[in-house]
This record gives sequence, C-alpha cells and structure tokens, in this order.
Amino acid sequence: MKLLRVENLKKYFPVRQGFFIQKIVAYIKAVDDISFEVERGKTFGLVGESGCGKTTVGKTIIRLLNPTSGRIFLENDNLASLKPSELKPYRTKLQIVFQDPMSSLNPRMTVGQMLSEPLLFHGIVKTREEANKVIAELLKAVGLKPHHIDRYPHQFSGGQRQRLAIARAISVKPHLIVLDEPTSALDVSVQAQIINLLQRLQEELNAGYIFISHDLPLVRYMSDEVAVMYLGKIVEKAPRDELFDHPLHPYTKALLAAAPVPDPRKKRDRKDLIGGQVPSPINRPSGCFFHPRCKFRMPICEREYPPTFTLDSSHEVACYLYR
Amino acid sequence: MLKVENLRTYFKQAEGIVKAVNGVSFDLHKGDVLGIVGETGSGKSVTVKSIMGLIFPPGYIAGGKILFHTDEFSSNGEREYVDLAKLPQEDFTRIRGRHIGMIFQDPMTSLDPMYTIGDQIIETLVWHKNINEEEAFERAVQMLEKVGIPKPRERMGSYPFELSGGQLQRVVIAIAMSCDPEVLIADEPTTALDVTVQAQILELIKDLIAQYDGSVIFITHDLAVIAEISSSIMVMYGGMQVEMADTQTIFEDPLHPYTIALLNSIPRLDESRELNPIPGQPPTMLNPPEVCPFLPRCNRASEKCEKEMPRLIEVEPGHWVRCFPK
Repeated sequence: MKLLRVENLKKYFPVRQGFFIQKIVAYIKAVDDISFEVERGKTFGLVGESGCGKTTVGKTIIRLLNPTSGRIFLENDNLASLKPSELKPYRTKLQIVFQDPMSSLNPRMTVGQMLSEPLLFHGIVKTREEANKVIAELLKAVGLKPHHIDRYPHQFSGGQRQRLAIARAISVKPHLIVLDEPTSALDVSVQAQIINLLQRLQEELNAGYIFISHDLPLVRYMSDEVAVMYLGKIVEKAPRDELFDHPLHPYTKALLAAAPVPDPRKKRDRKDLIGGQVPSPINRPSGCFFHPRCKFRMPICEREYPPTFTLDSSHEVACYLYR
Repeated sequence: MLKVENLRTYFKQAEGIVKAVNGVSFDLHKGDVLGIVGETGSGKSVTVKSIMGLIFPPGYIAGGKILFHTDEFSSNGEREYVDLAKLPQEDFTRIRGRHIGMIFQDPMTSLDPMYTIGDQIIETLVWHKNINEEEAFERAVQMLEKVGIPKPRERMGSYPFELSGGQLQRVVIAIAMSCDPEVLIADEPTTALDVTVQAQILELIKDLIAQYDGSVIFITHDLAVIAEISSSIMVMYGGMQVEMADTQTIFEDPLHPYTIALLNSIPRLDESRELNPIPGQPPTMLNPPEVCPFLPRCNRASEKCEKEMPRLIEVEPGHWVRCFPK
C-alpha cells in the first residue's frame, strides 16, 4: 500500500475584482490536475521555478488549503473529503517544515512550550514532566542540547531554528513530512548539516518525504523520484537518475542547462538555454503552457495541452515530442 | 585600478564592536573579474560597501586604505591614487556611478517605484556625463537594447512594477553600465532570480564583461555561479579573506580548510557523493577573539591556532592563504 496517493489534485484561487460587489473575474490555477504517489521511507522531489505551484501542492496535501477537486489518499483515507474537524487524527501522520524558521516558529514561545504543544494536544504524553523528557530526546535527535528548552527562537541561529522546526515536525512521529524548501534560507555549510539530519531522521522514522525545492543539485541528492512542475502542472516525472541523466521534456532540459555547475572547467551548454520568463499563472498560454519558450514547438502545441506519455514504464512526460 | 590594503570596517554596538571586515587586502587589475564568496555575515557585502562609501554610523572604517586609480580629482589630468577610505561623502558622488558602478541583489528595491525606468537611466547620464536630456534619452535606449530588453523605446516609459524581476535586473545593469565605470560591483545580482532567468542574466553579464575593458567585483554565496563567471576568487570567512587565488586553483587545489570544507558541503548535479557538512555554526562578529575565525569548526586545528592569528601568506605566486602550513 502506498503511503500517499494524490489523484487529479486541483487548487484554484479566485481573482476578485470590484469594490462593493466583488466578482470573480478569473482563477489562478496554482495546481492543475496533478497526480503522484509517495512510499514510506522514500523521498518524492518536486522542482520548479517560483510560481509553478509547488508550495501550493504541499500546503494542499496537508490540508492547510482546501483542494478545489481531486483526491488525497493517506494510506486508505481520502483527506480531500474530510471536514477540518475530522482532520485532527491525521495531523500526527502529516507534518510540514517551512522555508523560513523565523516566521514558522512563534517568537513568544520557548522551545519547551512549542514542542510540548503538539505532544499534549495529540495526547502522546499526559503530563508536562513526561513532555519534558520527550523534548529532551527530540532536541538530542536534531542535534541540539537539552538545556536549550527554556530558550526563545531569537536566541538561536538560522540553522538551529530549522532544527527546532524539524524537531516539532517529528515530535508526533509522522508518516509523511512535507519539506518546503527547508534549507533555502540557510548558508551552504549549514544546509549540508540539515540535509544529513533529514536523511538520518527518515531512516529512523521510516517516513515518506515530499521535498519541494528549486535547487536542482539538492533535489537530486535527496530524492528517489522527481517531478518537474511548470505553471501548475507536472511536465515530467521519473526516478531520480533517469530524470537527471535522461531528461526528456524541453523545460526539464532547460532547467538542467541553466543550473550552474561548481567547476570552472565545465561550461554550460548554451543550446538548451531558454529565453523569456514564466508567464503569469492567471493568463496561461494556450495549448502547452511552455510552447512560447520552446524550441521544438509544433503546430499542435499551440492548440492542445499534451497528454502524459509514459516511457519505459516509469518515465512520464507531457510533451508531443514523445507521442 | 583598485588596491585595498588591510581594510577594517567596524560597527559600534551597545554590546561591543562588530568587526564585520577585519583586515582585507586585494588588488584589482584592469580586466579582472574578482569573485568574493562567503556565507551570511562573512563581510563580503560590507567590503564592497566600504569601497563605495556606503558605510554609515554606527559603522565606520577603522583602518586600512582603499586606493583607487583615477583622474577625477587630479589637477593635471594624470591618474593618481585616491584613498576612498578618507574621501568625504560629498566627493563620493563623483566616484559612485561615474567610476564605480554597482548592481544590487534585489532590483525591485534598487529602482525607484515612482519614476519610469527611462527617467532613472536618464538621471544617471545627465548627472555624470553632462549631456542634455535628448542625448541621454538616445543613450538610454541604446543601453536597454544592449542588455536585451525587447522594444527598448517603448519600455523607457514603463514603471518598475510593469517589468518582471529578470527584466528589472537588466535595467539595473543598464544603469550601472551607462557611464562606462572602470569598476563594476555586482552584489549577488542573480540570487533573487529563478534558475532559468539567472542563467540568462549570467550570460548577459558574461557577454558585457567580454566587451568591456574595466574590471568587475562579483559577490555571491553560490560557488557554482562564481565558477562560471570569475577569473579569480577570494573566499571570506568571519570578516577575513581566508584564501585567494585564480578560479581554477580554488576549485582544484584549495588549501584552506574552510575552502575545502565548503567545496565538500555542496551537492552537485554532475556527480553523486556524500555531503560532508561543516560542523558548528558561523561565528558572530561581536568582539571576536584574536584567533582564526574558523578555529572552532576546523578539523585541522592545532595548539598553535589557539595562540595566534595566522597571517595571509603567498604560498605560490598569486595563491594566498590565511592558515599555518601543515
């Protein structure tokens, strides 16, 4: 049984206009009909540029946002159809770590307060004394010291704060953790610490990860399977090495060509680079959303959005080149 | 063109003195593209802000020289060295923009939202070049065309909010290059941009550098970006330069433990390997002890390191390291 199965998930945000009577004039299709699966102990990487909807996917899966349509199966239960009040038991199974720990941690709560809250709320421990014992272990697990329990977030560095956010996420022993750019606010030397910590915790918890990032080398390092998003849709999905070594979609190729390599001898391949920028999600191009920037566009690309073609049983690509 | 000698920039705080830049020296020659890499708080931005005269109280330049080779202040038209560290603020307007151009990280905050981009380029040209507005308008259109803005004549009347981040960064580059500065300083110019747009801007900067006969200081925290663009690299840590060499040497034969550790801690697209993080946290710059700032995180530290500060030594021609030899 798969840990998480997302089927035809859609999330539209209405665009309202008018002063007294607000009319919905358009929809931003932040997530537009995407499907994927995550297994326990595995990492599913989601890459894309800003505005492609990757963060909205993460927030919708943990039901911080209500999906417009589609199904989100966690083990066997469809989260998409549950009322907010019915979600409480699932909160221990699903957790999220956000990008900026300074805004995801309450500045007025000590470490002890913020970490005991989920434990007491979900009845994992009964008393504060018990909670303190568990917290001491949690802090050790993420590489902090037990005496940090009375400190406030501002007394920590960026990397340590992200460790706290991770400690809070793992405190309820979740089955699935959404990691939304967990290291992009951190320095490189600290980023590697957090990445190694996340990998160790994944082994210990046997948790499934959804790793959202715009950093291609990092996604390659972390993930087992990777999906590339463009304007709300998954354009390509494949096992990690397959995607990075044999990219098929012109957008994936462009992303890989654009990523600089830390080696002065290697020069980037200019032929795969693309011009222009990501169009506005309110006003997506007709047909394939990528066709205005694509070098291989055919007449059909301007008319119809390509269906998903499956190659070699596991490599999915939404592009007419592979029909 | 530019000679920085033992620059120290400090900030006075209630708790003590923050030594943001603590003894940085380098020479910038014509045609050089010097990359400065370092993490948050390593002093890379403060170094260039000191050069630009953009240090304001409680910050101050505590010591050192910034010698700039220019004819701006000479009476006989010959170039001479001017110490920018001692230059009064009112004279800096003759240097900034005219002789040293600067590109900042976030184009949305470096442009004025209330003026059209045309006005902002024209203002720079009229102020520094003593030309009239019509001439300046034509020059501005040319500049926009050069940095790859489509329909430049129409874009002159656009306000910053009408353009995307990548386009705005192109405008900022156009402004910085409009007066043909001898030195161009780019402070994380691509950090706020998406990967595909970042690649476009990097290609643009590379093309402009190839045509341009000045020199460039390029600041970034991204080793991959710096590998692509610079001819030499200065690695900064804790307000000091820990290593300086040409780009090839830094990547293939790094000597300082921090440079080596930094290269081992980044994931790479082209090869899979274990990540080796650097243990510990970056140092605080408040009242730092007189020892190597990397000491608490160093895997090669010896007793000698706890007693004295290593000096910056030239181990081979052009390769400088601040570490005791093995």
